[in-house]
Amino acid sequence: MRPLSLLLLVPLAALAEPATIIRSTDLKQAPATDAATLATLAENTAVEALERKSGWTRVRAVEGEGWVRMLSLRFGATTAPKAGASGLPQVFNVARTGTSGTQVTTGVRGLDAEQLAAAQPNAAELAKLEKFSADEEAAKRFASQGKLNARSVEYPK
Amino acid sequence: MRLAALLLLACALPAQAQFRLPSLDVNRLVDTVKNVGKAVKDIEEPEEITIGRDVASRLLGAAPLVPDPALQRYVNHVGRWLAAQTERAHLPWQFGVLDHGNLNAFAVPGGTIFITRGLLEKMRSEAELAGVLGHEIVHVLRKHHLKAIQKGAQTALAGEGLSTALRDRAGPARDKLIAFGTEMYSRGLDKSDELEADRLGIVIAARAGYDAYGLPTVLQTLQAMNAQDSALALMFKTHPAPGERLDAIGEKMQPVLDAHSSQAQLAERFVRQIRK
Repeated sequence: MRPLSLLLLVPLAALAEPATIIRSTDLKQAPATDAATLATLAENTAVEALERKSGWTRVRAVEGEGWVRMLSLRFGATTAPKAGASGLPQVFNVARTGTSGTQVTTGVRGLDAEQLAAAQPNAAELAKLEKFSADEEAAKRFASQGKLNARSVEYPK
Repeated sequence: MRLAALLLLACALPAQAQFRLPSLDVNRLVDTVKNVGKAVKDIEEPEEITIGRDVASRLLGAAPLVPDPALQRYVNHVGRWLAAQTERAHLPWQFGVLDHGNLNAFAVPGGTIFITRGLLEKMRSEAELAGVLGHEIVHVLRKHHLKAIQKGAQTALAGEGLSTALRDRAGPARDKLIAFGTEMYSRGLDKSDELEADRLGIVIAARAGYDAYGLPTVLQTLQAMNAQDSALALMFKTHPAPGERLDAIGEKMQPVLDAHSSQAQLAERFVRQIRK
């Protein structure tokens, strides 16, 4: 019935990305809190992520295949350091190399730090940006085409 | 009675004399504080909007729009619908997809939001786009960048007043202010601003009828990517790590996420627009 959504699931399913359970969580038979619990996965359990459905991810674990809450999952193997720890120094290095290594040219294009610092105004693109904007009436029509209904949700405290 | 009053006066006089100098200083201090407060309040909405236009023009100088009017209109429809659910619905909201492979998004004071082609290509549904645009909309609602510009203006302008920069749109002070405002996107905001934008952005997407898991899903996509990918460099430098943001969302937002997880994802409509 919905061939596109099936197609969308393929990349993740084919990858079977290694992931880690970050806090003890239930492995469910279906992506719902009231579904049967197949097992309880302990913190640091290594799993393979297969597909995602809203707040749930289907995983393959030693305990079996089932669904866990997506927020209880982080990608990457247990043995590897966490993304924040391993990634950031390298990221900063990339930024630093850019700053010291390249010559700053006026009006150069790009979204790196030194390119942003040297950016010059682009009035022609600004005019296009304004032309493409939508008014609230057009946005409402667009929302109803997608069957989107506004509802009241409070900001958290 | 009279004696008591005299005694009081006697006590009060030397005290007043004694504290005259400090009290003057205190007044001056109060004035300074008032001026600082005034400087912050001085940026009224019309000025916020013109500052935003000038900064947006520079960002477009760094990366132009993707030359695809249908895509630009699509993102504007999603964005405007989200903005309509907020307390600043009346702003002249405009949304643009920048033609750049890096993964990033920018909120400009006054209601201009940019997202890069690189980030858009990593998404799988309109709910994910709504989550990211919701996050950026919060930066505008809460004036995160505007406040950071004000805070830094004194040093950036080096003596030339903020009021000059606001008044004279063609002057050198203005130029400095806008250059500073643009450069700010490579330094980033306070972590608390980013985490607030995550929480409130989820709420705005839910209000608009979208699956509230859109933003967490994008963050998980980013978390799964190689952190050393240079396309992520600036975003990772200017934002808390995706894992940390997901932790914070899990702590505070689980009830909202649960209540609005079965809302629209509109994956088909999104894919139709993105992969023409």
